[in-house]
Amino acid sequence: MMPELILILGLIAIVLVPNLGDAKFRLPLTSIRVPVLLGGSRFDMTNDPRMPNRISNLTFSLALLSSLLLISESPREVGGILMVDGFSRLFSTMFLGALLLVSIATTHRLPAKTNAQVPKESDSENVFDRKISILMDNRRQVDFYILLIMVGLGMTMMTMATNLFMLIVCIELASLSTYVLVAFHKEDATGGEAGAKYFIVGSVASAIGIYGMSLLYLWSGSLDLDILRQNWLSMDGVDPFAAFGIGMMLVAFGFKVSAAPFHLAAPDAYSGAASPVSGLLATASKAMGFLALFRVLVMITVPEGSEAIWMITLSIFAIVTMTWGNLAALTSVNPKRILAYSSVAHAGYMLAAIAVVGSGISGTDQSSIILTAVSFHLFVLVLFKLGAFLVLALLETEGKGHEIEHLHGLGRRDPLIAGSMFLFVLSLAGVPPLSGFLSKLLMINGIVSTSASTGSSSSADVISWAESVDPLFWLAAAIVLNSALSLFYYLRIGLVMFFEEPSTEKPLKAAPSLRMAIFACALLTVLCGVGPVSEWLLDMVSTAIGSFMYQ
Amino acid sequence: MISDPLTVITIVPLAVSLALLILPKISGSAEGLARASRAISMGVALAMLAITTMIFFGEIGNVDWTDYNSGYSLTNDAFALIPSIGVQWKVGADALSFPMIWLTTLLIPISMLVEWDAKKGHLFHPLILMMEGALIGVFVSLDMFVFYAFWELTLVPMFFLIMVWGGDDRKYASMKFFIYTFTASVIMLIGILVMYFYTPDVASSGTITGHTFDMSVMIASSDYIPSEGLRHLVWLLLLIGFATKMPSVPVHTWLPDAHVQAPTAGSMLLAGVMLKMGAYGFLRIAVSAFPNSTVAFIPLLIFLGMASLVYGAWVCMGQTNLKRMVAYSSVSHMGLIFLGIATMQPLGIAGALFMMFAHGIISPLLFAVAGAFKHHYHTLEIGSMRGIAHHSPWLAAHMMLGWMASLGLPLLAGFVAEVTILIAFWMSFGWLVLLPTLTLIITAVYYLTSMQKTIFESNDPHQGILPDTLHGEEPRDISWHENSGMFILGALTILFGILPFLFWDMMSEWSSGFLIETLVEAMQSEGVKP
Repeated sequence: MMPELILILGLIAIVLVPNLGDAKFRLPLTSIRVPVLLGGSRFDMTNDPRMPNRISNLTFSLALLSSLLLISESPREVGGILMVDGFSRLFSTMFLGALLLVSIATTHRLPAKTNAQVPKESDSENVFDRKISILMDNRRQVDFYILLIMVGLGMTMMTMATNLFMLIVCIELASLSTYVLVAFHKEDATGGEAGAKYFIVGSVASAIGIYGMSLLYLWSGSLDLDILRQNWLSMDGVDPFAAFGIGMMLVAFGFKVSAAPFHLAAPDAYSGAASPVSGLLATASKAMGFLALFRVLVMITVPEGSEAIWMITLSIFAIVTMTWGNLAALTSVNPKRILAYSSVAHAGYMLAAIAVVGSGISGTDQSSIILTAVSFHLFVLVLFKLGAFLVLALLETEGKGHEIEHLHGLGRRDPLIAGSMFLFVLSLAGVPPLSGFLSKLLMINGIVSTSASTGSSSSADVISWAESVDPLFWLAAAIVLNSALSLFYYLRIGLVMFFEEPSTEKPLKAAPSLRMAIFACALLTVLCGVGPVSEWLLDMVSTAIGSFMYQ
Repeated sequence: MISDPLTVITIVPLAVSLALLILPKISGSAEGLARASRAISMGVALAMLAITTMIFFGEIGNVDWTDYNSGYSLTNDAFALIPSIGVQWKVGADALSFPMIWLTTLLIPISMLVEWDAKKGHLFHPLILMMEGALIGVFVSLDMFVFYAFWELTLVPMFFLIMVWGGDDRKYASMKFFIYTFTASVIMLIGILVMYFYTPDVASSGTITGHTFDMSVMIASSDYIPSEGLRHLVWLLLLIGFATKMPSVPVHTWLPDAHVQAPTAGSMLLAGVMLKMGAYGFLRIAVSAFPNSTVAFIPLLIFLGMASLVYGAWVCMGQTNLKRMVAYSSVSHMGLIFLGIATMQPLGIAGALFMMFAHGIISPLLFAVAGAFKHHYHTLEIGSMRGIAHHSPWLAAHMMLGWMASLGLPLLAGFVAEVTILIAFWMSFGWLVLLPTLTLIITAVYYLTSMQKTIFESNDPHQGILPDTLHGEEPRDISWHENSGMFILGALTILFGILPFLFWDMMSEWSSGFLIETLVEAMQSEGVKP
């Protein structure tokens, strides 16, 4: 529980520290100030606008480190509803890594107040001081990082939940915080709209999911995942309560992973939110949805040796999702929307892989390879999807990034950043030898090795062979065709960066910590595709999946 | 791994070029490095040439060029890159790849020399060096994944060479080049993946997918692909990838545009080595893995070869642009390679190999000449000037030698390749050999008429006609570095015309071995007379 404790300590620190020295204590996320009758005005250090960011960076790095160190911890049950094991630690490492990147990347992002102005020479001394004090006010940053740590807390807790109720509560903790984060930038009109839309659709989806959970409770009398699984396996036929319950939870998690047709709010939310937050939604939040699908679909409802009831539905969802995502991305002109739709498409690829796990013809080995592939993909997605959003965040520091024109000529303005962005989109497209290729290859391999052996080996031509092969094979074919389709919009981003004239020759802002985050993502994108780092990560993931499969 | 010469010649150019490209960007005080990068690039390129030459003379490594099955010579222990999916660093060379490797290391310093005074030289020469690493990587890697990665990597420097240093229409040309070849190689990748998924499951290999990208295993296990139809399909997917690179009619249209717009060094490398990647990959992967499909599709190969040969030659006759004419002549000559393979004779395959090599020295010479012509006369129109022999005797001499070699004059390198392919064609298909032979006459026609127009014909024996684009400037002869580059290429053309056995011996031995090991069985089962 070490990482969670660190997060809680960080949360307490970030609430308390900025009030030190002040005679009034500010309730976080409000402007209500409670007098404590001790002290005067705040110290310079506690008033520093960079301070909350530092606390949050420190918190997330320590939590990430402890999560990494504890990754091979032996399974341990906590209070009957939480289970600490390699699998949960793997996912909490991923979440904390993503949050650390977001936290580092947002250092240069937040103006202190929505109406903060830089003091001018002509201002009177009084006005000058007031403007300085507004600029030096760190209240808003405090709120932002409080929310970010709450997201972290919800996500790391949900990785350990073995009880459906706990799972939903943790997901809600993380989700409610992300709703606020999406709408956090009030100075931007699109932010509020995006936040409202995301909140409304998201809460409806959650409500449906909770309703589904209550149906499951009605059916089984317990929300413990193990008991649910036993009841499911011993069930005679399909109980409508159980089936409806699972179906409704599928809707809630489908929204989280932005699977079609529940993805419609996602592009708006991504394009309205600040880029690092969009990146968080597209990686950690999506991974949270997939983890929930692992727990609910794979753990509870996959019978041994026969087809799961949701297999056909999920396969259709998967194909529709990836095709819809790619087609919509082709026609988008806002780079954030392109990335959002590409994230929808990636959800489709992963759903297709999960569908095969439920097909009943995949053995334990093949299932664990597929789940390893999906988890690995979620892991490396943090690097290149978040990395791409961080590049847009760098553009946002000059008020741009929401039109493809703003990427024009980036290669001339800043070759290293443009090169990193190109690397990210190539990895998203799955070009070897980057990590995106490795994960996609593993997924396709899982599907093909499950299904292709069913094809008749005596057929003389392609068509009769294709007729004899299991329909699951076409999921692999759909992934390949969709990847080919997606190349067009990924390469278009590369094209405009290198071959269009920039509207300004001005170099991008320095923003050293944001740059550092981007370069770290780019480096890891390469390293996780080839060589010992990828091997180490893959080993870690497959061990964790092993512990998940034999629970 | 470090001691392996093939690894060294692949990694060193890549590492040095990346350092030369990135270091000046990062450290502010590296202007000196930027200035020295031209010399450093040239030094590295020459060192690589020295290494490959020493390999050729047997100074490094114990070389056996023909042992196709028991591992390619120079192969050493494989080094695992991504063990979980079976990717490893495994390199080797045999008579199919070694001439190409040597050619690459030879052409890189020459193309640097020819464009010694290129604009933005601190970027230009490192890019060419990167090209060297990527090209050698394609030829040496014996792992399909690494092969594919290098295959794609060659696009990057070439794309930038065309994009930044190209002619007026460079944007269109580089885009077309990139999209065409990239799409084709994605199609090829699908074929490779199908092969990958059917490699036998080796439990002890340590891969979690149970498959391997090891090229020899993938080739050997192509029989595991379940149906004949699927094997044909994979073969066709591979063919699309390779034929586009070669390029063969009907997927050749990127080539003339890319060549006309590319800088001289880019054209030289494109025609000299990059086109051969297609033929190399076709022989190494498609033919080796799917001999039955190859034999079954011989008519298709002949059709593609004839179409390229005839169409290329025919279009050449109508060209007025020098570079475009040379580009189409490349299409035409690449057609001969398909014909050579389709003969299924040791002689024909060896001829195809020699064609790859001979065209690899002749066409860079032609493009160097065209580039120098453009540089000094500011035009590429064939009819716009007459009597260069008077103004630029050296340029005229090189031009003549190149054209003669390209049309297949005996005692020059091109002749050996053409005549052996034609003999093998006659052995396989009898009198049908008249078709390609007559086409070669067209080649002679377009070269001789252009030669007549450009080099010799002059209304005034003392003056000749100068193109308008010179604006009354005095025409100059080519500069020392252009001249020396062309001189080396010309000398090699003559050398390999007179002494073809330098490479011919290993090629013919390799191709007889290849035929016996791989193709004979397939030919018998398909009922084709060997």
